[in-house]
Amino acid sequence: MHNEHPIILSSRVRLARNLQDIPFRTRMTPEQADNCIERVLAVLRDETDIYHYYPMRGIKENLRQKMVESHQISPDLFKNDDLGAALVRNDEKVVLMVNEEDHLRIQGFGPGLDLPAAAQAAYETEDALQRKLNFAFDEQWGYLTACPTNTGTGMRASVMLHLPMLALLKQMGKVTQLAAKVGLTIRGIYGEGSEALGHVYQLSNQVTLGRTENEIIEAVTAVAGQIESMEKNCREKAWEKDPLSFEDQLERSMGLMCFARKMAVKEFFVHWSNLRVASAMGKTGVPLSVCDMLLKKAQRAHLLAEAGKELSEKEIDARRSDMLRSTLSIYH
Amino acid sequence: MLCEECNVRPAEVTITTVIGGEKTVRHLCRDCMKKYQNGDISSLMAAILSSMTPRKTENAETDAVCPNCGMHISQFRKSGVLGCAECYQAFKEELRPLFTRIQGRTQHAGRRPPASPEEQERIRKMEELRKKLEDAVQAEEYEMAARFRDELKELQQSKVQEAEPGSAAIKDVQKEEGKDA
Ligand SMILES: [Zn+2]
Ligand SMILES: [Zn+2]
Repeated sequence: MHNEHPIILSSRVRLARNLQDIPFRTRMTPEQADNCIERVLAVLRDETDIYHYYPMRGIKENLRQKMVESHQISPDLFKNDDLGAALVRNDEKVVLMVNEEDHLRIQGFGPGLDLPAAAQAAYETEDALQRKLNFAFDEQWGYLTACPTNTGTGMRASVMLHLPMLALLKQMGKVTQLAAKVGLTIRGIYGEGSEALGHVYQLSNQVTLGRTENEIIEAVTAVAGQIESMEKNCREKAWEKDPLSFEDQLERSMGLMCFARKMAVKEFFVHWSNLRVASAMGKTGVPLSVCDMLLKKAQRAHLLAEAGKELSEKEIDARRSDMLRSTLSIYH
Repeated sequence: MLCEECNVRPAEVTITTVIGGEKTVRHLCRDCMKKYQNGDISSLMAAILSSMTPRKTENAETDAVCPNCGMHISQFRKSGVLGCAECYQAFKEELRPLFTRIQGRTQHAGRRPPASPEEQERIRKMEELRKKLEDAVQAEEYEMAARFRDELKELQQSKVQEAEPGSAAIKDVQKEEGKDA
């Protein structure tokens, strides 16, 4: 376990904010939506940090999809292609969604388990905006949001975890309850319903009212740490119990990713998960950062963008294999 | 006993949750329990909203409506999203029990917006005047100090409901003046 982030991939903090004098999204006119974007742009233009502007109606669908795959924007913003916009800070550590469910969703990102850093990044942008814009705020309810599940701090603090062993040993029910007990929720990020492709999960707070931002961050951090050590234990036990089978499985996945000619996304997730475990346990030379990069690059919109043209399903699967082969060949 | 969430199916399980140190015991059917166990606050809210029976006297005319955006409480019950910031005031009575159940608490804690730009400017000017006043007193230029003091007083009163009497600096000037006179 020589790497920093063997189990927790990344941290994110998002703050929901609304302008005081404009109705929330379901009640706003297109003119008010544009006005909202303009006012945010006007403030951020004066900042020293550079923000890149992506109006949802002005950019190609595949670029929008790519932003969803990179977790920069939500599927909800993707769909709001007439009124929505995204603003990405130059270092990509802050991404704003404008006219999503709320006027503003300010998101801060950090690698591994570092919610305070992610929060700090979001606060910086929030402070800049708050100096010039009036956000809807009430002494009792805090920041006012479109949905009452976000009212108060408007904060959702989340971490992405890779939990293949807990999933394999059917421990996810226990993990879910552990989280629910303190008001947190955990769910699969990829795939429909409960399948949790690649065993990648997101742990986040649910309650936003009556707890300070730091209390929320501490709660998520504490449970994330607990789940992390559960997963670590399971991995170590599986290794001690049957190193041959364990290693065999990891090597097979590595082999398939290095030699297959086409790979569907569901199959990719299976092998990617094994590769990431191997990397986290120091059983392969492939660094964790490369594993995490593959997770993005193997997805549909990323492959299409790389190709720069329309592709059939089969061609996408072939491109995925090509990309995996050329990246992983460096490490063996 | 019927399930407390949907009021439709019989309650079969008792579930205890602790959110932020507050314990809640609920009697639920298996379907609603699943929502709880998945910890999905949105589906929980949807269940609460749909189980909220409109008040007996409520009809098209008495259906509470937000004066700012025109949203009706019945629309909120269906969609779960509010229309504008004013809705919080307009639907206060419906929202309070909802917040108690989904959030567990009804008083915000945490970050808050800074004072308005005008307010910030006022605060900045007051600080500047206090400093000038102090300097003037130090330099024994009492006429000037008195002028700064009056300007400062005026600025302090320009904020409504600001009841705090003059600062220590002003009292000092008054003392100095008295001594001088
Ligand atoms: Zn029920
Ligand atoms: Zn309203």
